[in-house]
Amino acid sequence: MKKLSIFIALSAIVFSGCKQDDEFSGPDLNNLYGGFSIVQDLDISNRNVDFSSGESTYFTATFSKNVEWNIEIKGLTSGAIRNIEGFSDNLNNVNALWNGTTSILPMFKGEDCAVEVTFLNQTDTLRDTLTVVAGRVNQGFLLSDFENGFPANWLTFIQSGANMSFNIQTSDLSAQGTHYYDMGGDVNWDWLKGYVYIPASAYGVQAFPLNSNPANVYFNTFYYKVPTLNNALILFQFCEDDNEDGTFNANNEDMYSIQVTPTAAGWSQLSVNYADLAALVNGAPSTPAGNGVKEPHKLMQVNILHLANPTSGYAQSYIDYLIFTENGPLIP
Amino acid sequence: MIYNRMIIRFFVMCCLLFAVVTSFAQSPARKFNVTGAARGYFFGDRLDQNVAQEDTITIPRLNSGHVLADLGLNIRPNKNMEIQGMVRVRNDYGGFWGSGVTFDIRQLYVKGVIGNVVRYQLGDINYRMTKYTLWNNDQELLSLTPQAFRQQYDVLNYDHFYNNDHSWRQQGAAAEFALVFSKFVEELQFHTVATRVRASNNSSINDRIFAGLNLQLIQSKYFNVGFNFVNLNDIEGTSRNTTLFRNPVMTYTAEGKWNNEQWAATSDVEWAHSKTFYVNDAEAPEWKGSAIDWRAKVKNEKTNVTLDVRLSKVDALFNSPGAQTKRINYGQLPTAYGRITNDQVVRNLSMMDLMRESNFYNLQLQNYLMAFAPKYDNITPYGDATPNRMGGVINLGWESPKKDVKVYVANTDMQEVRGEGTLTPRKFMRTEGGVEFKREKAFTSWQRRLAAQLSFRNDQTTRGGTDVVPQVDLNTQVAAAGLEIEVLEKLDLMAGWQWIQYNGFDFVARKNAYGETFNFNEYKVNGKENMMALGLRYRFSENAFLTTQWNQYDINDATLNSTSYNVGQIMVLYQMNF
Repeated sequence: MKKLSIFIALSAIVFSGCKQDDEFSGPDLNNLYGGFSIVQDLDISNRNVDFSSGESTYFTATFSKNVEWNIEIKGLTSGAIRNIEGFSDNLNNVNALWNGTTSILPMFKGEDCAVEVTFLNQTDTLRDTLTVVAGRVNQGFLLSDFENGFPANWLTFIQSGANMSFNIQTSDLSAQGTHYYDMGGDVNWDWLKGYVYIPASAYGVQAFPLNSNPANVYFNTFYYKVPTLNNALILFQFCEDDNEDGTFNANNEDMYSIQVTPTAAGWSQLSVNYADLAALVNGAPSTPAGNGVKEPHKLMQVNILHLANPTSGYAQSYIDYLIFTENGPLIP
Repeated sequence: MIYNRMIIRFFVMCCLLFAVVTSFAQSPARKFNVTGAARGYFFGDRLDQNVAQEDTITIPRLNSGHVLADLGLNIRPNKNMEIQGMVRVRNDYGGFWGSGVTFDIRQLYVKGVIGNVVRYQLGDINYRMTKYTLWNNDQELLSLTPQAFRQQYDVLNYDHFYNNDHSWRQQGAAAEFALVFSKFVEELQFHTVATRVRASNNSSINDRIFAGLNLQLIQSKYFNVGFNFVNLNDIEGTSRNTTLFRNPVMTYTAEGKWNNEQWAATSDVEWAHSKTFYVNDAEAPEWKGSAIDWRAKVKNEKTNVTLDVRLSKVDALFNSPGAQTKRINYGQLPTAYGRITNDQVVRNLSMMDLMRESNFYNLQLQNYLMAFAPKYDNITPYGDATPNRMGGVINLGWESPKKDVKVYVANTDMQEVRGEGTLTPRKFMRTEGGVEFKREKAFTSWQRRLAAQLSFRNDQTTRGGTDVVPQVDLNTQVAAAGLEIEVLEKLDLMAGWQWIQYNGFDFVARKNAYGETFNFNEYKVNGKENMMALGLRYRFSENAFLTTQWNQYDINDATLNSTSYNVGQIMVLYQMNF
């Protein structure tokens, strides 16, 4: 009993030292509930920014209290939008830095932009403008952005249906640059409207120069859904030269695929990890025909097939900016 | 077709298995055992909404259910080794001929003894350490739930490996051994565990490992001390991501016991330190926190009155994933009636969903504090290791000599260690009490089972306001009652009632990816939930029963964008453990 009493007494002594912290966590509530005003107006560090040469720009402003803010930068030619959000009492070179990326496609290009800063639960809005001299350049192996016409040595097959339109279009609303590839047509006897084969040989190599680890390789592209059409499918196929003999044999070598059903009108981004590709037969998973190992460094051809139910009428999709990236998906 | 082949193979395996078991059953030392459980579960729900304009979109009736069998094979090839494998076969009602049928490995482990010294276990491990290192705290409201509803909670807890010993189901390895001494010290025990909490994706996510060590020195039956170390850490090189999470927690424990003919007393203390940081991440904060928890319990052996006192202080930055991870993931949405009204608004999680929504429940340790529902528990949402709390709990209890009647009253008085958004701390007050009566043979003149329980809890959170900052005042009351009467032999009439009311205002911290508070959301609630059940249970044996229940749940929530509705439920549950 004596030992227990000593133990209890010691424990009580330890607790007698407990006291409250003399600081608090999180932002000051008095500040949050205080009045809001703009202390220092919006300013832009670089009003003529060239993202293609690695430049960036940032915004500055100071407010009377911490507040949730949103900077919206809108390309006046492309319609591209970049949103930067934060919670602070100022904008600075850390929390309001813009390196040319986009939140809502298309990508920014050389164009004037409108900048607007809005605040949660506040009516104030700050506005300014800046000029993008040139859009950012992404790292990776670019298959094509269609800016220089249809790439040499790509192969196409186009069904002899009605209103077939497998060609390059020019528009400021392209996902990237000013050109995209338009695939459309009405083929009432076949799901296939047309395809594009992209062999590695078009780039002077036997296999695309990709990392051998499929988890590190991403295939990226932008695709466009025409708002009034709901029937298109785009199938991307990746043909591996398992035995490295310079040819692809579908009977005993791997072909992995991903099928995209455009659902949201306008441009969307597809970024798929090579490791997540699957062998598909008529859209359903199947066993690969080759060694069953995903080997991006043996990829020798990419196929793009435009499909639609033959009874569904005219189908159309656009694609733009086909690029392989490493260690992460494309950040447009 | 594939499923058909699987089913045929499975039944052939089962037949062979039972043949083997039967043959071994006649030998004195059985090397094989079949263990497991079987269950049939059915819900028939009907939703009625109290809305001005009739909801013509939401389907009011939902039927769902499944039959499953957990078939485990326990093999003991020799006296020092045991292998357990368990497969779950589940078929949703209406899912015959392949669709809806699933086969899963539910349990797989190997355990044994090396050289009669070291005990080990590999594979699935149910592991528990202390309340500040590795402890699976009960979900909200469970302790106040009558048996009529508890049956559904039991199904959830069984499916998610939530055991009464508060262990977490992990996959990894554990080992333990002990040194026995002849003088001064009775025994020195070593326990160690390492489990894989998260698997690498070979790209950007590293393997995450939980490792633990416990040293327990048993001086005598009256006194022991312990040292515990756990660490949740990312393994470098398992992906290209060089940012590595680290969370070591170290605790020291001591326990003393004393008793004589009239009194029995125990006291224990746990003193903990934690450090939370990232390697190769300049933006990540480094947290250091400590906790101390002392408890004393005195029992008068003659009157069976027990006084239990607990004092604790847990720093705001004390982070112990093993002890603070919650069972319920409040980020999920209900699958039953996920959206209601003509506007198809998201239906908020309710007391009824806690009882039956399997997808709310979490199986893995989380590195930072998970979200919680202040209306259900704003005082101890992360159990005893809830950070940013200091204060005490006093519990006075009594139980009859035959332990068939239990009564308790308890009071919790706590406050924050560190204010949130202000230096003024929140204050927490909880008052609760309960009575439980349970007899297998109720009276000499009526020798049948009778059980009843009644409980009540009142929670208050308060903090003064200023001219511009509103004051915090959040109140929650929970009441429950349960009754089980054996009306015919082994046939029980069951009734249950649970009611919760919440009203008031508080702030809920918004946290960034590093668990830091960067803003607050206003949290206003004003609602009542009521749940009643009436049913029959037939007990085939101690391990098997069939129950059918009618439940009525209703909610009246005056909070903005909420609605009032009720759900009538017919539930049939057949449960057998073997």
